[in-house]
Amino acid sequence: MLPHGTGEQRAAGLRFIISKASLRIPMSSRSGSTRDCETNSQSQHHSSSPPVLEASDTETEGLIFYHMDLYGSKERFDIFPEELSGRGDRSLGDTRRESAVSSEKVQCPQEAGYDLEKEVAELAKMYGLDEDGEKELELLGGHLEKVESRWPPARTGKAGLQDSIYNISKSSSLVKDPSQSTKQQGLPDEASQGENQSKARADDEAESSIWSRGGLSSGGMSDEWNSQAVSEEEEEEEEEEEAADVFCSTCKIPIRAFDKLFGEHKDHEVAQLPNAVENEKEEIHKNMCKLEEQIAQMENVASHLEEIFITVEENFGRQEQNFEVHYNDAVQVLAQKYEEQLEALGEEKRQKLEALYEQLVSCGKHLDTCKELTDETQELFLENDKAEFMKAAVTMVDRLEEFLKKEVDLELSTLPDFEERVIDVSEVEQLMNSINAIPAPCAPVINPQAPNAATGTSLRVSWGLFSDDTVECYQLCYQPVSNESHSDGQAAPSPPTIKNKKIRSCENAALVCWESRDINPVDSYTVELSKLTDEENDDIITESIVGIPNCEVLIHLQPTQKYHICVRAQNLGGSSERSEPVLIHTTGTCFYLNEDTAHPLLAILDDGFTISCDELENPECDLPVYDNSFTRCIAILGSLIPFPGKHYWEVEVEEDTEYRIGVAFENTPRHGYLGANNSSWCMRHIITPSRHKYEFLHSGMTPDIRITIPPRRIGILLDYENCRLAFFNADIAQHLHTFNSHFQHYVHPCFALETPDESPQETPEKSLNRLSPPKVDSRA
Amino acid sequence: MAGGRAGGGGGGGGGGSAPGPPLPAAPPRAELKCKMKFGIYLPPKAETGKCPVLYWLSGLTCTEQNFITKAAFQQAAAEHGLIVVAPDTSPRGCNIEGEDESWDFGTGAGFYVDATEDPWKTNYRMYSYIKDELPKLINANFPTDPERMSIFGHSMGGHGALILALKNPGKYKSVSAFAPICNPIQCQWGKKALGGYLGPDASKWEAYDATQLVKSYSGSRLDILIDQGKDDQFLSAGQLLPDNFIAACTEQKIPVVFRLQQGYDHSYFFIASFINDHIKHHAKYLNA
Repeated sequence: MLPHGTGEQRAAGLRFIISKASLRIPMSSRSGSTRDCETNSQSQHHSSSPPVLEASDTETEGLIFYHMDLYGSKERFDIFPEELSGRGDRSLGDTRRESAVSSEKVQCPQEAGYDLEKEVAELAKMYGLDEDGEKELELLGGHLEKVESRWPPARTGKAGLQDSIYNISKSSSLVKDPSQSTKQQGLPDEASQGENQSKARADDEAESSIWSRGGLSSGGMSDEWNSQAVSEEEEEEEEEEEAADVFCSTCKIPIRAFDKLFGEHKDHEVAQLPNAVENEKEEIHKNMCKLEEQIAQMENVASHLEEIFITVEENFGRQEQNFEVHYNDAVQVLAQKYEEQLEALGEEKRQKLEALYEQLVSCGKHLDTCKELTDETQELFLENDKAEFMKAAVTMVDRLEEFLKKEVDLELSTLPDFEERVIDVSEVEQLMNSINAIPAPCAPVINPQAPNAATGTSLRVSWGLFSDDTVECYQLCYQPVSNESHSDGQAAPSPPTIKNKKIRSCENAALVCWESRDINPVDSYTVELSKLTDEENDDIITESIVGIPNCEVLIHLQPTQKYHICVRAQNLGGSSERSEPVLIHTTGTCFYLNEDTAHPLLAILDDGFTISCDELENPECDLPVYDNSFTRCIAILGSLIPFPGKHYWEVEVEEDTEYRIGVAFENTPRHGYLGANNSSWCMRHIITPSRHKYEFLHSGMTPDIRITIPPRRIGILLDYENCRLAFFNADIAQHLHTFNSHFQHYVHPCFALETPDESPQETPEKSLNRLSPPKVDSRA
Repeated sequence: MAGGRAGGGGGGGGGGSAPGPPLPAAPPRAELKCKMKFGIYLPPKAETGKCPVLYWLSGLTCTEQNFITKAAFQQAAAEHGLIVVAPDTSPRGCNIEGEDESWDFGTGAGFYVDATEDPWKTNYRMYSYIKDELPKLINANFPTDPERMSIFGHSMGGHGALILALKNPGKYKSVSAFAPICNPIQCQWGKKALGGYLGPDASKWEAYDATQLVKSYSGSRLDILIDQGKDDQFLSAGQLLPDNFIAACTEQKIPVVFRLQQGYDHSYFFIASFINDHIKHHAKYLNA
């Protein structure tokens, strides 16, 4: 940010000045902040003191600055006292000379003069070891006295010539007094002010030398002073600026013109202070503007952040819901799996146990049989009868043999451990995976085909999505439907016929209607446009409007072009041939006369654009009167394309024809005169014995306008957007009159002929509506 | 929306225009041998390109101040990008005996003629001043298109505009007038002024009479717009005589649209009411 940068630079510049200024402030800083405040107030008084004083003050300060820079330079020191007057100066000079000899000596008078007793005590302590301690104090006293002598004499008298610590403290309090009183009074008296300042100067001088040396001897102390003095510095700064009258652009400080001439700034570039102030103000103002911009920007960002905040809440809420649904699903699936697994495990266990039990039972049976046989055999051994024994033994042996033939199934039919089961978590996995995925969107809905949405080679398809699903992309599928295959024997329709005389157009649109005398049903019509250019390939269809359900269409066109327009009819049997093309110029406005509205006496000639008033031999009462026709005013309405924007047409009139031409709402009263009501606006021409008279009528009112040249061709500009209806003498592009009216509905051109009882008139009016508006109609 | 500057002093409360500092008083004019002031309005468009100039001639007793302070033309002029210049109505401070005696002759009533009679003939050359010197000065000092200028005025200034346009076919793209003195040789004001400046020979006056000039006009086509307050006291007093002018124009097939505005008098309120129509009228030809 450049402005800020410069601002900082400037601040740095200021600081630079301040650091210089600080050099002459520290006189009181050692005694604490209370004194600081006093000095502050002093400075303030300085700055509000009369300019004369100020000037001398600044001069001194200016010099102070320089000798600051050249500290140690004795010459400069010498200049300073000369500006002051009286003994004080000399004593100061003395002090200075001494200070040149010993920094300590300088320091002593300074501090003693303007600090509290405490300070003195401190001093004494500080220099107590010094051999010349007493001498110092003496000197100090003398200096004080002289300083005081610059105060009002009474005080000087009071202070006396004593050289004691007590005295010092007293005088120091005296020194303090004026500044306090000044502060209370608000407006300092000049004398005391002057004293104050010279005191300050003395201070400054003394201090500065201390400073310069102190800086060398005790850096820590100087730092302390520096920091304490900052608030004062700014005050001093102000003071300075006020006194200076020129701004040094090189050093970025205000200086006096004098300095420019002789001082350090001799070769520097300077500007008048007011100018510099203006520049700085401008700079600051710029920065302010930047700040304001930033504020605005931040406000923007803040509001943006708020929006994001809301969005984040919404999004995360939605995602939470999503997670809940999905994890619930997963948990359910897992629970189901668990149930299934448990069941299977139980079943296996039951089977194993059953098998083992069976085996156990069969084992028991076998054992029983064995025991039985053993018992029987032992019984046999007890048989004494040999024959019996043999008899029984044979049977027994057979039985044993038979029994032993049977194999004893000792193998374990069942293993104790359970079958390895694969735990199928794929489904769960799938569920888990689907959690982070966005849910599949709902099916979009394809909009019905809009008119004008297709050409011979392209088709505009549009669809909507009714939910707020996130959609990455859409996939569009289509397949051609053969015309022939579904004809069902239906024949393609024959081409429609465009109603040439019913074409209405303006600069930006055309309203075309047609008829189809086909016996075959027609599903829809297609209108094909080709824009005619000067190039050869005129027949290229530039636009097709398909799916038109009825026999009329409003086509948006480009102004000042020519178009060929033709229509095809369509049904399941296919598409018809093209109709005969019609030519449409989008220049001016083209309309037709609505014969239904014509007064019975009004005749439309063959060209369709000329009206005349039939001769009325005898007032026949059985003239055909349509519901919609004018009954009183011999008038007719045109049919203008219902399209907002501008319309222009021209009407040729004969000079001696009395007429009314203009516009009217479709429902303008048929029994009234055009212009006599608030639903029609028209220009009326009547011939008086002295002149042609022109009226511009609406609600029966007309302005009083005289036109020197009777127009032969009247241009009418109807501008819905700008709410105006203007009349021109088209031959000479002369503006005649403009109605300013906000048309609530579409209006239609209207024409009327006056005075049917006068001599019959032929071809009085002809409306020409394919002419461009005069280029100079801007005035309307 | 109407920015731009109106020079020549106070200027332009209307149309939101910011009045610029007054232009320094012009040096003594060659034609008039005295300092002449004029008011000029520069549209915002003039800061970037050359603009046509529309000269306004004020009526009896007016200075260059009346139009720029009262007519509220600035918005329309800004919209159409027209520089509008409003000169003073006569030389001033020429120390001619009797110049300040009456309000309808001498100071403030230069009548836009070149006087031929003593003591007026040295200074009172307003016709040449408006025709040549002022446009030269304007074209030399402002971003103008010297080829496109029009003129209009009020009352005596309307007379001035009409005669300047009729006597200099093609010089002005268009002309219009508010309540012009159409036939000065027939009215009291005209007789006094023309007699004073041109001498007693009434045939010399015809060279400065719009109605007479129309009868012999054969220049490029003019499209004249005239607005006239129907309740104008000077109309009924026979000072303006627009009917004579219209009759002459009708005869000579000079296109005029003359609008008699009911309820309006001769004042600047009347001018301010229809100034937009006039600015548009000129803009149509100046910006064509």
